[in-house]
Amino acid sequence: MKFSMRSILMAVVMLTPAWLRAQDEVDLKPVTRTYAITNVNIIQGPGRKIEMGTILLKDGLIVNAGKGIAIPSDAVVIKADSMYAYAGFIDGLTRAGVTKPKEEQREKVKDPGNPTPERAGITPQTDVRAFLNPADKGLEELRNLGFTTVQVVPYGNFLPGQSAIVNTAGSSGDAMVLINKASLYSEFTPAQGVYPATVLGVMSKYRDLYRQAAQAKSYEALYASNRNGLERPANDKILEAFYPVIDQRVPVLFRTEKLLDANRAMTLKNDLGFSLVLADLKDGWPLINKIKSSGARVFLSLDLPEELKKDSKKDAKDSKASTPAQVEKEALDKRKAEAIANYTAQAAAFQKAGVPFGFTSMSAKSKDIQANLRRMIAAGLPEDAALAALTTTPAQMLGLSDRMGTIDNGKMANLVISDKPYFNEKAKVRYVFVDGVAYKMEVKETKKSDPNAKVEIEGSWSTVTQGPQGNSDGKVVFKKDGSGYSGTVSGGRLTSPVDLQSVSLDGNSLTYSYTVTFGSNSVKIDVEVSVEGDSFKGTTTAGRFGSSSIEGTRDPKK
Amino acid sequence: MNLMKKIISIILALAFVSTGFGQIEKGNMLIKNGTVLTVTKGTMENTDVLVKDGKIAQVGKNIATPAGVKVIDATGLYVMPGIIDAHSHIGLDAINEGTNAITPEVYTGDVINPFQTSIYRALAGGCTISHALHGSANSIGGQSQTIKHRYGVFDPDQLKMEGAPRTIKFALGENPTGHGRRDGVQPQSRMGVEFVIRKAFSEAKEYMTKWDAYNKNKAVKGFRGAPPAYNLRMETLADILRDRIILHCHSYRADEIQMLLRVCKDFGIKRVVFQHTNEGFKVAPELAAAGAMASVFADWWQYKLEVYYSTAYNAAILVRNGVVTSINSDSPDLIRHLYHEAGKTQKYGGLSDDEALSLITINPAKQLGIESRVGSIEVGKDADFAIFKNHPLSIYGVPQYSIVDGIVRFDREKDPADMRLMPEPRETIDVTFFESGHVHDNCMQGVAGELLFEESGSENK
Repeated sequence: MKFSMRSILMAVVMLTPAWLRAQDEVDLKPVTRTYAITNVNIIQGPGRKIEMGTILLKDGLIVNAGKGIAIPSDAVVIKADSMYAYAGFIDGLTRAGVTKPKEEQREKVKDPGNPTPERAGITPQTDVRAFLNPADKGLEELRNLGFTTVQVVPYGNFLPGQSAIVNTAGSSGDAMVLINKASLYSEFTPAQGVYPATVLGVMSKYRDLYRQAAQAKSYEALYASNRNGLERPANDKILEAFYPVIDQRVPVLFRTEKLLDANRAMTLKNDLGFSLVLADLKDGWPLINKIKSSGARVFLSLDLPEELKKDSKKDAKDSKASTPAQVEKEALDKRKAEAIANYTAQAAAFQKAGVPFGFTSMSAKSKDIQANLRRMIAAGLPEDAALAALTTTPAQMLGLSDRMGTIDNGKMANLVISDKPYFNEKAKVRYVFVDGVAYKMEVKETKKSDPNAKVEIEGSWSTVTQGPQGNSDGKVVFKKDGSGYSGTVSGGRLTSPVDLQSVSLDGNSLTYSYTVTFGSNSVKIDVEVSVEGDSFKGTTTAGRFGSSSIEGTRDPKK
Repeated sequence: MNLMKKIISIILALAFVSTGFGQIEKGNMLIKNGTVLTVTKGTMENTDVLVKDGKIAQVGKNIATPAGVKVIDATGLYVMPGIIDAHSHIGLDAINEGTNAITPEVYTGDVINPFQTSIYRALAGGCTISHALHGSANSIGGQSQTIKHRYGVFDPDQLKMEGAPRTIKFALGENPTGHGRRDGVQPQSRMGVEFVIRKAFSEAKEYMTKWDAYNKNKAVKGFRGAPPAYNLRMETLADILRDRIILHCHSYRADEIQMLLRVCKDFGIKRVVFQHTNEGFKVAPELAAAGAMASVFADWWQYKLEVYYSTAYNAAILVRNGVVTSINSDSPDLIRHLYHEAGKTQKYGGLSDDEALSLITINPAKQLGIESRVGSIEVGKDADFAIFKNHPLSIYGVPQYSIVDGIVRFDREKDPADMRLMPEPRETIDVTFFESGHVHDNCMQGVAGELLFEESGSENK
């Protein structure tokens, strides 16, 4: 009964067909690059469906899709019986696949008013290709969700560099790239303690640089047309990075999560005249008409605020708020719920207003994306519109319509195949094709969690969480509570024990969550572990602050 | 002359259409039977004010109610012009770009946040216009924006008062020098402040000269040459020298006020408003002679060394010396009762009702260059009003309505508990407030703690 982890892995690897790529394999040429996906419901594009057809892929391209297609003898046949195939999804903005440069020990700036361009965050010339890593975990997570194409950007402050549109897989960073220097990426992130240290400074420095670039560019043109009697123009890699934007050959891709940032980006567009893409927008509904008339292209965030948990116990107890504090709390909760509903309905509002949009995963957690799409649909976004926002619209906005966005002959072999319709709650992605290369997703149940295991967690456990600031010790106590469990967590940075919000034990996989409050901010902590006897191992996730690993051991009974 | 004015206003109007102010909501209404405090034209009992399309159309007795127009019964109430605050930092996402001594290129109009409830609270105190100033961390701070408190709009550009002249913030004394000492850069003394300002203007003059020469040469046929390098900082300073921007200067001491007057004289700068001006009473004749104006606190001082020599008679002395004087808030709290602040000048200095009311209406309007539009109740002006129960200068005065462009933006009868426009879905709000913790509206915001400790928890003026 005892299998080591390694032997399980070996078994998985051996059972995996040769045509499925594993990342750390020796790079052998595939036997064939022809695939026939049979008996599949083909959603060619929004509103275009072929029931139980065949998709034929050859050499990285879709060569046929429809019914009654002859299967070539060299084809790998994937019996996608009753599954659903869509064109690969496109993500308008992410840093998945981009390696974060190591933070160097920074010297104190002598004059904070005049820092180097790097310290000021002015690196528009940075080429994101230098940082691409096809083995990046975030990239794999997006691919597993069905994303085949993403726009990636370098790390940095307000002018981090140039974006690239890349495949979510490839033998090397360069091999992933479809379009390099696709846009000039910008944020409203100020520099730290040096000019520009606020969004005030960012706005004016942006104008200053842009106008300097426009001036330098036109002088270069004058010089090129007749050099006689003119001083040689200075070479400037920073200003040159703006030239394609000034020519409107590429847009400015502005990360504008908040409405006011979107408005600032539109102000700069008005002042300077560039073509603008608003990306990762979360609360844009109040200014839809302004955004629409600005002509900016729009990518909405796939991140949504968490839904309020209905506390059923409390509701039953205090059905009527009696104290002023309760009345106030109820009113506040109501407004919060409305706000969450507005965020969730943002996509539907843009759709109703007739503003085309794509999606970005930049600030979303991969594990929430499918659920968030479903929430947007429940809030009024038609499924076809959701699909368009994942496929045809971004393809158009990125100038890639001739290559991707639909399942049509001649397009790139970018596909996502799910066992149920993609927006169905139970849908699981089974295959993803990126540029003709197949990836098969193992269904979750084969993981080390054992739904039939009998595990008892009641009692006190000592935990160690590995964080960026070192390890932190804590305690978690579980108590039987009816058919389930309740409990408390203490230690770490908590000053007093905090009640667990939810505890669920399924076989040997245990999840629990609690909320930590710092001043007016609160962060929900989700812990997911699997229990083996008197210990558990897993991950703890603190909202958007990321995850770390956690281990626990059962305290001896007193 | 008149034609010229017309042409200019048409050009301005067109400019605003293209810069995207959007459609600003304007209202029609009849305010009936109030005691109208016009400020500039005396007090009129049992008088009606008719508003058409956001402007005052008629002031008089027994005006017939036009069909379908909202009527506010002001019987027993006082109708005054909307209160104007010449020094505030509400409605801004950032206040200080304090990293460099000279940052005239930055502009608070870029960082307006129309969702801050402080704007609504200001309205609840009858304040309909404020000057959203850059902070005082550096000698030449940023350009600032006059905003109308149209609370309820979501587009930050719609708070900007269309047509309001450009203004800029300068700062003298302890704030900019403390900053220089922290960073080990200029200025570290009052002498240094004068030097960095003079240096900046001298460079701007040079910049202007270069561009003027280039533009002149360019017109000559066959000219070959490179333009001077564009610089937004120098462009902005040049616009001050060209009298296109009103200078507002944070100052306390008489010596530094005199210093800036000399600097302005040397560089031909005409429009100067001193902010705080706690020792303005010492140099009131000099201010009046220079045509400089002053915006002061009623009775607020001693929050740091340079503010010890102060008096509550400051405003009255300045007024009596012929200085256009206003009383400002520089605080999201004081902005809610500027009428009390103005009233204090009647106890300390015996100003008349109209003089006291001028300090928070027509005078700040003059300081912001908007006196032809607002600041008094006159036909043709914007329909911005504060309507009070009891006289606004009485301690019993309570604002009932605040009206901006003929739209009721505050109504005491309909004052919901939660006026947030964009609640944060992830924010947790405690029901019981132990401490407000709101420090984001003061003029040293964003400045490191070491500068603040000496001000011992004051509002950091």
